[in-house]
Amino acid sequence: MLADFIQIPIAAALCWILFVAVDIVFRLPEKGGVKGATAIGRKIEEDGGALAGGTMMGNIVSSPDASAGTLLAACGVYVAGLPGGLAAAVLVFIGNRICHDPGSAGTTGAVLASVMISGFVVLGFAPENFIAGMVIAILTIQGLSHPHASRLLARIWGWRH
Amino acid sequence: MAALIALYVCGLIALFAAIRTVVEPEPYRKLPYLNVMNFAIAGLIVLILAHPLSILAAAAYFVGSTLEANAIASTRAAVMEND
Repeated sequence: MLADFIQIPIAAALCWILFVAVDIVFRLPEKGGVKGATAIGRKIEEDGGALAGGTMMGNIVSSPDASAGTLLAACGVYVAGLPGGLAAAVLVFIGNRICHDPGSAGTTGAVLASVMISGFVVLGFAPENFIAGMVIAILTIQGLSHPHASRLLARIWGWRH
Repeated sequence: MAALIALYVCGLIALFAAIRTVVEPEPYRKLPYLNVMNFAIAGLIVLILAHPLSILAAAAYFVGSTLEANAIASTRAAVMEND
């Protein structure tokens, strides 16, 4: 079993790839789901970022997306194993409906994350490291530099688009 | 032991995000920082209360706080549009 200080960065990288990939596949950078998400995207663009990335960040703020799904799935697997992760997916779906979102990105992200994290638990990873990993992953997108993060997301969106 | 390291990581990130939320002058750009804090707090709820039902508490907290951020941003956008 790897030491925790090695497990957490690996978990953060896996969570980052999973939630960005699911959000891009479900076209979050395309348009704001609500007015507020569009406004956040425009503001980030004004401050030197990219509109597509900013819109995706606005959407992450406004409704539980794949990043929230990954976090709650990690929490679910930590407290109750794979069934806990799937229960978290149901809760994310309900949360999406409350926020007037179709709910496909969040629920898909939560189900995929539950399976991924349960698999890594079998390999000897501790599920709590995925909670810390997901918090680090969201920090790199939403909490360090909005212009840089939005430009990176827009570049990844360019490959998909 | 593992849970303790994850707990400190979440706690420090929550504190960092809270400080950045307060320091950031632009209202729209406060919300992504607040979002990071909400992620960290939802993680902390489960790490501190390791019980199957705490996933309900974390989900309720997270969905509620997301809905609030959504309401703040959308209300502000609607009001600015009318001006």
